[in-house]
Formats: sequence, C-alpha cells, structure tokens
Amino acid sequence: MPMNGLPPGLLNPPPPVAPDAEARLKEHGWMGSTPGTMILVLVFLAAFALYYFTNWKLLSFVWRIG
Amino acid sequence: MTAFRVCPSTGLRIDRQGELLMRAHAVVATVALLVGGVAAVLVLLTRWQVVHLLDSVWFYRILTVHGMNMLIFYILFFEMAVLYFCAGPLLNSRIPSPKTGWAAFVLMVVGMLTVQWTMWTGRADVLFTSYVPLRAHPAYYGGVILFAVGALVVVGHFFATLVVAKRERSYEGSVPLITFGAATAAIIAVITLGHGAAIYIPTFLWSLDLMHVDPQVYRMVWWGLGHASQQINVAAMVGVWYLLGALTVGAVVLNEKISRTAFVLYVLFISMAAAHHLLVDPGMGPAWKVVNTSYFMYMAVLASMLHGFTVPAGVELGMRARGYTQGLFGWLKRAPWGDPGFSSLVLSVVVFGFVGGITGVTFGTEQINIIAHNTLRIPGHFHATVVSGTAMAFMGVTYYLIPLIFQRKVAFWPLAKVQPYLFAGGMLVFSVMMTFAGTFGVPRRHWDITFTNAPFDLQFHPSVDMVMGVMALGGIVAAVGGALYILITVWSVFFGERLQPGDLAHAHERTAAGATESATAGGA
Repeated sequence: MPMNGLPPGLLNPPPPVAPDAEARLKEHGWMGSTPGTMILVLVFLAAFALYYFTNWKLLSFVWRIG
Repeated sequence: MTAFRVCPSTGLRIDRQGELLMRAHAVVATVALLVGGVAAVLVLLTRWQVVHLLDSVWFYRILTVHGMNMLIFYILFFEMAVLYFCAGPLLNSRIPSPKTGWAAFVLMVVGMLTVQWTMWTGRADVLFTSYVPLRAHPAYYGGVILFAVGALVVVGHFFATLVVAKRERSYEGSVPLITFGAATAAIIAVITLGHGAAIYIPTFLWSLDLMHVDPQVYRMVWWGLGHASQQINVAAMVGVWYLLGALTVGAVVLNEKISRTAFVLYVLFISMAAAHHLLVDPGMGPAWKVVNTSYFMYMAVLASMLHGFTVPAGVELGMRARGYTQGLFGWLKRAPWGDPGFSSLVLSVVVFGFVGGITGVTFGTEQINIIAHNTLRIPGHFHATVVSGTAMAFMGVTYYLIPLIFQRKVAFWPLAKVQPYLFAGGMLVFSVMMTFAGTFGVPRRHWDITFTNAPFDLQFHPSVDMVMGVMALGGIVAAVGGALYILITVWSVFFGERLQPGDLAHAHERTAAGATESATAGGA
C-alpha cells in the first residue's frame, strides 16, 4: 500500500507480535534465535582482527626492533 | 494550561509548545548542515589536488566553518530536538517551561551567529580545535560559551521534563529505552559542557590578555569537550537506532538490561576516550595513556559492540516473530529497503561499526597511533562515525519526524528512497579512501600536499593521486546525497503537502494495538 510522502512504517505499521511468538521461534544451536545477526557479528570480528593485525604489521615496518 | 494534540499515527500526546521547540531546533540544525555542507564541498575540492580550489587562507577559514557547523551546530541543534522528543511525546509529558526552552534556543542561536560572524570575517581562522596559542577574536570564544550555556539549559530542561513526567505519572514503569538513551546523551552532555566551560572561559580571558593558558593543559581539557561532544552523538544515535528499528520493522528489544547497561557503560567510560587525542603528546606518561585508552576506552567500545549486536538482533527477532523465518537472512531480504528510515538505520549501523568502529579502536591503541596520528586516517575514521553513523541515523529519523512532528508529507518521496544509499555509499568510499591515503602518510588539515615552495621535497607514493581522486568522487556523491536531504526536508517543512486527518487514521488502529509498544516500551 505505497503512498508517496509517508514512510511505510507509519502508513502500514508492523503488526503486533503475538505474545508467544518469540518463545516459539526455532533455536539455531549456539547461534540462538538470531542466527543471521550472529553470522554478521562473526564477519565483523574477522574484519576487526584483520585490520588490527594489519596495522601492527604496518607499525613493524617503520618501528624496527634491534 | 498545556495544549496537547494526539498523533494520529502513534497515539502519542504531543505538547504543542514542545513541538514548536522541536521544529525550531530541527530547522536551525538543517541550516547549519547546509552551511557546513557547502564548506565540505569547498574543502574537498581543495584537498583534491587536481582542482585545488581555495587559497591557503580561505582553505583554513572554510575548514573551520565546516568543523564548527557540522560537529557542533548541526549535531547539537538536532540532538536538542531529539531530547525534546524523547522527554515530551515519548513520555506523554508536557514541557515544564517553554519560556526557558525558547530562552535557551535564543542563546544557542545568538552564540552560533556570533561564531559564524567571526569565522566568515577571518577573525577565527583557528580550526575546530582552536588550539592555543592560535588566537581568535574574543567574540568567537564568547559565542561558543553562549551556545554551550544555551545547550546546557536545554539539557537541564530535559531532566526537568523527566521529573515532571514521573511526578505526573504520564507513563508507566521505567522510562522507555529510547528515552534512557537520550538521558545518557544528556548526562554526557553535562560532562562535555563542563569541560567546555573549564577551557573556553579561560581561553576567552586569554584572548583578552587577561590570563595565561598552557597549550598542553588546553589540549587535555579541550578534548574533554571536543571528543566527548561526539560521544553525545553516539548515545543519541544509538537511541535513534532503537527508535528506527521499532518504527520501521517493529524491532523488539532483545534484552532491556543489557541495552541499558551498555548505555551506563557510555556514561562511566566514554569520556576517557578523549585521552587518545593525546597519545603522541609528550606531557602525559605512558601509564596514563594506556589506562585511559586501552582499558577505560575499551569499556565504552564494549558498550558500542553490545548495541551493535542488540539493534540488528532486535530487528531480526522482531521480523522472525512476524513470520520472516526463511533461512539465515530471509528476514533481511524481506526487509523494507525502500523505506529511507530502515535503509538509513542499516547503513548507519554497518558503516559506523565496520569502518568507524574498527578504525577507531585500532587508532586508539597507543603504539599504532604513532603511525596514524595527524594523517588522513583520522578524518577517515570520524567521517565514518559522525557522518555515516550519526548524521545518517538522524537523516533516517527525519523522514519519520516530518509527518509526526511537522505534520507534512515527505516531498520528493522517490528521491527520499534513494537518498540514504547515495549519502552512505559516497561517504563509505570517501572514508575508506581517506584512510588509505592516510596510510601512505598524507597529512590531515593540509592545504597543499605537494608542498609547493617548501624548503624540502616530499613525494608521496604515486597511487596517492588516484586514492585522493576516488576520495573526492566519493565525497561529491555524498554531497549530492546531503543536498538531496536538505532539499527534501526544507521543501517538505515549508512547502510540503499537509497531512490530512484521515491519512494516518487507519495506521493508528494497528499502531495502538502494538507497534509503538516496542518503540516506547519501558522496562517493567
């Protein structure tokens, strides 16, 4: 039901969540009930580790020991 | 007698005086964004060595204009509007003293105009940081003090509204998470503005030759203002994330206690993050630097990582609970990507976290800071946080505030749908390329990296020219996105089609049934 000029969230707000809907959600092992977000978190941590390591490597080029 | 109206979409009671205050602050914020945005393009076209638009005097003048308008005036005026929104409508409360609110607004505007006058007339070519012994006209420091006092009064007004709402029982249970986040921003604002008073009042007196200010002390105290002011942004931005998640897809709050604890971590530790600006300063010892930036700062980083998890997880959980359960990312695929509120939320979270967050923590490490300090990597980092993060989130929520607060339809709706992608995409390229250029040693705040007529010769790696060119293209795309936002908001507010009573009426029936519960839910 698109209407120019009004955001969908106001024009057609998300329906209320059934009281037991969250409890009925399937668990995905260690990823719990939000597996998509858990994957994104792992991608973030990998990017973090890579960038952090790269910077220490860069530092080692200009700050030699010995 | 306080006059209220009831929002046809959310059912929230809105104090009309508070609504006018919100509108006024939002409008001035947009004007500051326009001024800062024009300055951004001028700075960009100068740093792009092929164009090199401005001469050195005007480059530093416009860079000062850019910094003050974007980092102080735009952001703080918008945050003041957010404070009024979070304390008034979200708590169904009246604004206790509209006259005080208007007096504070006038103070902020007068302060801003004074600072603008000094900057544009060449009386304050001191950049955003105004490091002593660079000296500006006393009116510059006076203007900043006036502005800060006005902002402090608004923050006090926010706390007063919380007290009034509690006393008059305008809401049940604890304050909503979004208001809790705004309260966090307000507490950090008090800390920030305290630092501002502690350094700008002496500097004002110094500019009148009435006292001495030590440059090292100036840097230490000033960053208690300069960086902490950006932490107000972070807290306000995270609050807006939760709000946008709830409004756009009915995101649920994963765990109230975790989210609120993360906000408290901001209050306790984020101010210490200012110490990372002094990592290469000789005046501070390594223990002081390491404790502040590698222990206390990480507690604030932990808070951001918690929010960085709970916000998308709340979106995912809310959508899965509504039946979008297909595969790992079915909920993301079915999300309303054409809603500028939702796309702004996602782009803000992703660029803030992946670019701004990762680079920020890395550069805040004492040893690594030595190769990043004063290079383009630093503005690369904070353009990903303040611009792609905070400004993007504020832009996204504007598309909801225009109908809710200004009671107008959003003009140029097809453009509004693409605006977040243009802005965030451009800023992403811009920030990443800045970071690359900085890795090659390109300095920040520098008018001419070819060092024409300098007594020494310095050649950068040949790829720097290409990196700076791509950076400029990204910046231009982002500027187009920013210009679109200003066009859409200004047109909507002043010439836009008024909402008719029936436009959102059917939405209210559904919203009242539950959708705003997640937006305004308080802890039990």
